[in-house]
Amino acid sequence: MSLLEIKNVSKIYGELKALDDVSLSVEKGEWVAIMGPSGSGKSTMMNIIGCMDKPSKGQVLLDGVDISKESGKKLTEIRRDKIGLIFQQFHMVSYLTAVENVMVSQYYHSMPDEKEALEALDRVGLKQRARHLPSQLSGGEQQRVCVARALINHPELILADEPTGNLDEANENIVLDLFKQLHREGTTLIVVTHDPEVGEAAQRMIVLEHGRVAKEVVNQNFEA
Amino acid sequence: MSKRRMFFKMITASLLRRRSRMLIALLSIAVGATILAGLVTVYVDVPRQMAASFRSYGANMLLMPGETADLDRQSTDAALSVISEEKLLGATPYRYIYTEFMGNQTGEGKYSTQLKFMTAGTAFDEVQKTSPYFAVEGRYPEAQREALVGKNVANTIGVKLGGNVRIAYDRVKTVNVGETQTELQGSAPGYYDAEVSVTVILDPDGTIKAVAMDLSRQTPFRVAGMTTDSFTDTYGVTHAESFTDQFKGKQLPLILSQSENDPDDYIDAVSGATASSKAVVDAVNAAAEVGVNTDTQQITDTERVTMSFTVVGLLETGGEEEDYIYISQRDMEDLTGEKDRFDVVELSVSGSSEELSAYAGEISDKAGIEARLVKRVTKSEASVLGKLQGLVFLVTLVVLVLTMISVSTTMTAVVSERRKEIGLRKALGASDNSIRVEFLGEGLFLGLLGGVIGAVLGYVFALVVSREVFGSDLQFNILLVPATIIVSMLVSALSCLIPVKRAVAIDPALVLKGE
Ligand SMILES: Nc1ncnc2c1ncn2[C@@H]1O[C@H](COP(=O)(O)OP(=O)(O)O)[C@@H](O)[C@H]1O
Ligand SMILES: [Mg+2]
Repeated sequence: MSLLEIKNVSKIYGELKALDDVSLSVEKGEWVAIMGPSGSGKSTMMNIIGCMDKPSKGQVLLDGVDISKESGKKLTEIRRDKIGLIFQQFHMVSYLTAVENVMVSQYYHSMPDEKEALEALDRVGLKQRARHLPSQLSGGEQQRVCVARALINHPELILADEPTGNLDEANENIVLDLFKQLHREGTTLIVVTHDPEVGEAAQRMIVLEHGRVAKEVVNQNFEA
Repeated sequence: MSKRRMFFKMITASLLRRRSRMLIALLSIAVGATILAGLVTVYVDVPRQMAASFRSYGANMLLMPGETADLDRQSTDAALSVISEEKLLGATPYRYIYTEFMGNQTGEGKYSTQLKFMTAGTAFDEVQKTSPYFAVEGRYPEAQREALVGKNVANTIGVKLGGNVRIAYDRVKTVNVGETQTELQGSAPGYYDAEVSVTVILDPDGTIKAVAMDLSRQTPFRVAGMTTDSFTDTYGVTHAESFTDQFKGKQLPLILSQSENDPDDYIDAVSGATASSKAVVDAVNAAAEVGVNTDTQQITDTERVTMSFTVVGLLETGGEEEDYIYISQRDMEDLTGEKDRFDVVELSVSGSSEELSAYAGEISDKAGIEARLVKRVTKSEASVLGKLQGLVFLVTLVVLVLTMISVSTTMTAVVSERRKEIGLRKALGASDNSIRVEFLGEGLFLGLLGGVIGAVLGYVFALVVSREVFGSDLQFNILLVPATIIVSMLVSALSCLIPVKRAVAIDPALVLKGE
């Protein structure tokens, strides 16, 4: 069974079809890139997969559960338990330190555990910066904190929206290396990007245009 | 780390690390709490302060002679024992008498017409407690023969500080007239042992006032000489009085004359009636008391006492007190010859009008004298108190509402400022309830800090108000500290309700929207 199955999903804003009858599926452990120009519906799709929005039409099955039918409360639970989110703008709580930001995710999920949070920061190479506030961290470091935060609760699916959009090349490579590691460990990754380099790092690319799947490319050169 | 610790870490970090905005909210709560704590402190302490202030307007209770008891030392002490010691601020006895102005020490300056003033005898150390508004030029009398003279009196008689006033008081004495007469009756055998009986009336000093004889059993012609206006005795001497007239003014027992050389105060027998005469004397000597005639009559008599005083103080009150001369209780005793008699005792008692009424009732019951509330003082005290408390209540309400509006506005601004963060928290899996609890937690924490600051500053504020308005220190009520903190936490939490509602409505999807 696929981890994620999207069946004939449409999202309609008045006249505008942000998503237009999209169908696709993502297997457990797969690394998929969603690409497309601005306004093609990438973020709309992310919101639906991330349980933050509901489709106007169609079905979304996440781990066998139809999330297009669930209530807001239940969606919050599913998001909390199964999904790790990484955003383009890094989005950290400005008045909490790096390790505290990671612990916020633990706090909502189950139990704050500083040791585990520090380990996660160690993993993204930020053990030394654990007690720093976001304002004291560079963009790349902030994004790495967000990665640590996304994986702290061992989610089945990591959703990343333009994770390297605001990063320089060195930091982009660090983040991509982290994704590779996660992939090797069996984490399912869906990465939204318009950066071909990031897209080509994935196993499979899905290209959206005007809310439709324009093409699907399987990366022949993918190295696990 | 426990969930609870993380929760407190988050809300304290939010306040401590993002100071600017929260400082404004904290400030409005602290200011609100300060005014609140201050006003409530004053409000709670106001009755005490007011009572103290109003005491400076004079006595609020009067003791007067009652139906069952006169107003004297004994009944006054009984009345005062009813009032608890710390509530009784002062008790001043007054004895008022009419005195005539007699000029200065040497009698100069006396008016041709009679000039009379009311003179009051009182205890001056108590006067200062029950009539703190008395304005005395010079000083209160301390030694004997010193007087405090009302300004009007001083003006009328033209006396100055250090001068003299001579006053006269007509002591009224009641004299018993008509005498207490003791009546005696007795009998003795006369001719042929026939009984003679007498009634004797004695004056209070024991001398005989009158003697009445019952000679009906004697042979009438023999005793004829005993009842005439004059008689001849056994020695042939004629007396210009009757036989019984001899008895008047003499003490018992009487002695019957036996020879011509016997002393004059012996009773001489009537010639030809020696046996009856002897029987009468025996009967008088044997007479026993049968009763006392108390039918006497009281008349009043006056005795003038004149006394000279040094004027050591002039009294100005703006009231009728300026028409009086005040002297010490000792001098009043000397002037009237009466001790510990009062016309009125003025009391200054701290307490609500209900408490005072209760005291008054108890005093009438226990001491038998009348206790009256000075309505003018107790009533206005109650009404001013009511108005003041109403005002404080209103201001408190306004301050509460203003604080709530201010905190609510600030917190709403805080929520929109933190839209992204709230969205992020929700995206990370925060339930609506978590968001609510976190924001209310921040609100309560703000309220706690503001309340602590407010309780401290509020006390200082109240202290200043108390000193400025009432000129006295405040009684610190420790309960107001937790009360202030709880109220400011409640107000803060209430103010956060609308902002929290907004926070909950934030869409987590917005964090994915690029900008
Ligand atoms: N809440 C919304 N209301 C109306 N239109 C929306 C809304 N969200 C997205 N859209 C529109 O849907 C289209 C797809 O948007 P989006 O998914 O954000 O594209 P992308 O992330 O690929 O740039 C855009 O034309 C956008 O303007
Ligand atoms: Mg987008």
